[in-house]
Amino acid sequence: MEIYPPPLERLIEQFSRLPGIGQKSATRLALFILKSHKELSQSLAASLIEVKEKIELCSTCFSLTDEDPCAICRNENRINGIICVVEGPGDQLAIEESGVFKGKYHVLHGVLAPLDGVGPEDLKIAELVARLDKENIEEVILATNPTAQGETTASFLVKILSGKGVKITRIALGIPMGGDLKYMDSMTLQYCLKTRSPVVP
Amino acid sequence: MENYTSRSIIMRTKEVGETDLLVTFLCPDKGRIKGIAKGARNSRKRFANCFDAFCLVDLQFSLKRSGDLYLLNSGRLINAFPGIRLDFTSLSYASYMIELTEILFPWGMGDRKIFELLRESLDALSRGERAEAIAVLFEVRAMTLGGYGINLERCCNCGRIYKGEGKAVFKRDRGGVACLKCQEETAVTPGISPQVVKMIQWMQTIPFRSLMKLELADKHIQEIRPVLKLHREYHLPKGPKTVCYLT
Repeated sequence: MEIYPPPLERLIEQFSRLPGIGQKSATRLALFILKSHKELSQSLAASLIEVKEKIELCSTCFSLTDEDPCAICRNENRINGIICVVEGPGDQLAIEESGVFKGKYHVLHGVLAPLDGVGPEDLKIAELVARLDKENIEEVILATNPTAQGETTASFLVKILSGKGVKITRIALGIPMGGDLKYMDSMTLQYCLKTRSPVVP
Repeated sequence: MENYTSRSIIMRTKEVGETDLLVTFLCPDKGRIKGIAKGARNSRKRFANCFDAFCLVDLQFSLKRSGDLYLLNSGRLINAFPGIRLDFTSLSYASYMIELTEILFPWGMGDRKIFELLRESLDALSRGERAEAIAVLFEVRAMTLGGYGINLERCCNCGRIYKGEGKAVFKRDRGGVACLKCQEETAVTPGISPQVVKMIQWMQTIPFRSLMKLELADKHIQEIRPVLKLHREYHLPKGPKTVCYLT
């Protein structure tokens, strides 16, 4: 039996379809919307429509954009010869926030994950290879996460890209800032020691 | 709230909320179970890098008063099987073994043998052993442990004991072999050489450590794979989806 009036039940149902939102959270959100001013609902609804209508993928780097090509691909001050390959738009944002990378990006939109039904043809890998042929690329930085799937994707890209005449690099892996050696896992420590770098005074 | 500590293999993870993870893992005693790891994605101490797929970890967990979802309290990485990450083929075979385990063993069905088999197989893959051979060894043994062993002792039609003289014919509907007098070779009843029959018998019975050392030649793998495919597809209609990624 439905406890709430049908329109409210429908809103709860719609919210509960979102990732990480269960029935209770959906009910809380729906009741909050109901209690709020009408302007909030209108602007929320308008934003939902706008995001679906205006946001698309950049035809060059496949990042999210409201204008094709995206702001980074259009920016003439960015270094043209370096591409940083990331899993998703969130990873690109994190690197952009660090402010150190001045090259361009390529968003794969996922990683190789057979358990989730994601194979090479489901990622923007062919588009990356096409970019190497089209643009004058000198270096490809593989910035996929150091998970089993992320590492495998990086290894797969190395195989695909080697022989294309570009320098292929991988982001470093190790102890995070503010980390504590005592709590590090043995695999990370092994990798850190194997890939240690000389200190120049 | 009862607390448990168990060596486990991480099968799948799913991001929940801001920093939590829903983790599916395999324990020797409790089988395949699910647990929630609060704050796992931000954790640098309690869950330092231990929730990556295929990892062997020591987990501490407790059962909530209601439901069958466990609460994961802490974890320690034992082996991440780094060799699996080196190429897509190894990842695909590891994923296949995880999926086949999920299909054969229902939630909460503890079986130390399948845990040991999966661990040994992931370890062999990580060491760079031939992935096709490991997958065949794993599949034969996992099907046996799951109750789908192939009957190789006697002809499933006439009951005559198979003595290893001449070819046998595999019959998927009977889950065993028939002699050539009872059944002729066809596409769905492939012939198996006496040597391969013997090999499958070994694979179904010998200890795990010896199992992973069993050397399979390419010709043996080519002979066993169609048999396993027929056997799997007949008995497990909802077969593993990862099979499409295997070479």
